[in-house]
Amino acid sequence: MEAAAVLEQDAQLMLRVGEGDDSSFALLLERHRGPVVHFLYRMVQNQAVSEELAQEVFLRVYRSRSTYEPTAKFTTWLFRIATHVALNSIRDGKKEKGHESLDVETSDGMERQVADSQPTVEQELVQNVKRREVRQAIEALPAKQRAAVLMHKYEGLDYAQIAAVLSCSESAIKSLLFRAYESLRGRLAHMA
Amino acid sequence: MICLNKNEQGAELLTGYLAKTLDAAGMAEVDGHIQECADCRGLVSVWGKLDEFAAPEVTGDFDARLYARIAAEDARRPWWRRLLWRPAVPLVAAGALVGLGLLMVPRTPDPAKQANQMDIEQVAQAVDDMDLLTPIAQ
Repeated sequence: MEAAAVLEQDAQLMLRVGEGDDSSFALLLERHRGPVVHFLYRMVQNQAVSEELAQEVFLRVYRSRSTYEPTAKFTTWLFRIATHVALNSIRDGKKEKGHESLDVETSDGMERQVADSQPTVEQELVQNVKRREVRQAIEALPAKQRAAVLMHKYEGLDYAQIAAVLSCSESAIKSLLFRAYESLRGRLAHMA
Repeated sequence: MICLNKNEQGAELLTGYLAKTLDAAGMAEVDGHIQECADCRGLVSVWGKLDEFAAPEVTGDFDARLYARIAAEDARRPWWRRLLWRPAVPLVAAGALVGLGLLMVPRTPDPAKQANQMDIEQVAQAVDDMDLLTPIAQ
């Protein structure tokens, strides 16, 4: 089988971007915009900053179009860039101090939706407290553990991918994840 | 049963159980264990608690802002660099160089053509000789 035939679809799209096909870039953006922004949001816990960082990620992807080589899965490469950008941002202290309130309106003017239909004020308050505690527990993790948990829990990356993103061995990732979940268990033990 | 929390293999089983990447036997093994072990049950429940941390929708103008940044970045690049990345341009440039090289290589004369030219020269010479001889004969 030819090498090109076994290339995953995203890698093929990226190679086409390198050949000047801008519509392939639009397709990649459509597919990965949400996961990248959400990952960065959970890393830095600020919507405006996460979108700014996601723009930087996709700019880097676009800049790499002519030199891109599909040596790993496209998502592994993409999350490697995203993690690098997020860790740099955290290190440089770009993150604005203080979290966005979960009650505030989002930048498009829509109020954030709560999963339960028509919750009472009390239920909504309890829900908000739970969310805040989960956010704080995740934020308290060391940055590398946080990135590993977010990729494992929310983005569905496997051990090998997370290991490639964080430049660790798979066994190191397994133990990193376990320590992170243990730490979260301790912090969230009181939650029903 | 020894707590899965206490050894590396158990830790791997538990994280695999959380992500639902274990096979049926592995899932059943962890299921059985967490019925009896409060510590591991607590760890497994963390996975569900993390669902509380929802991320907001991406703002509607995200793509427009990104394309504006790409356009601005492209506009700042010198014209020759803008040309260089386009895949066709290096190919055309390489083709032009090869063509130019071929033009500059000194041509070796075609032996058949050369022989033919010699014949003509010989005939011309012969005709000239004959012209010279004609007045003497007369």
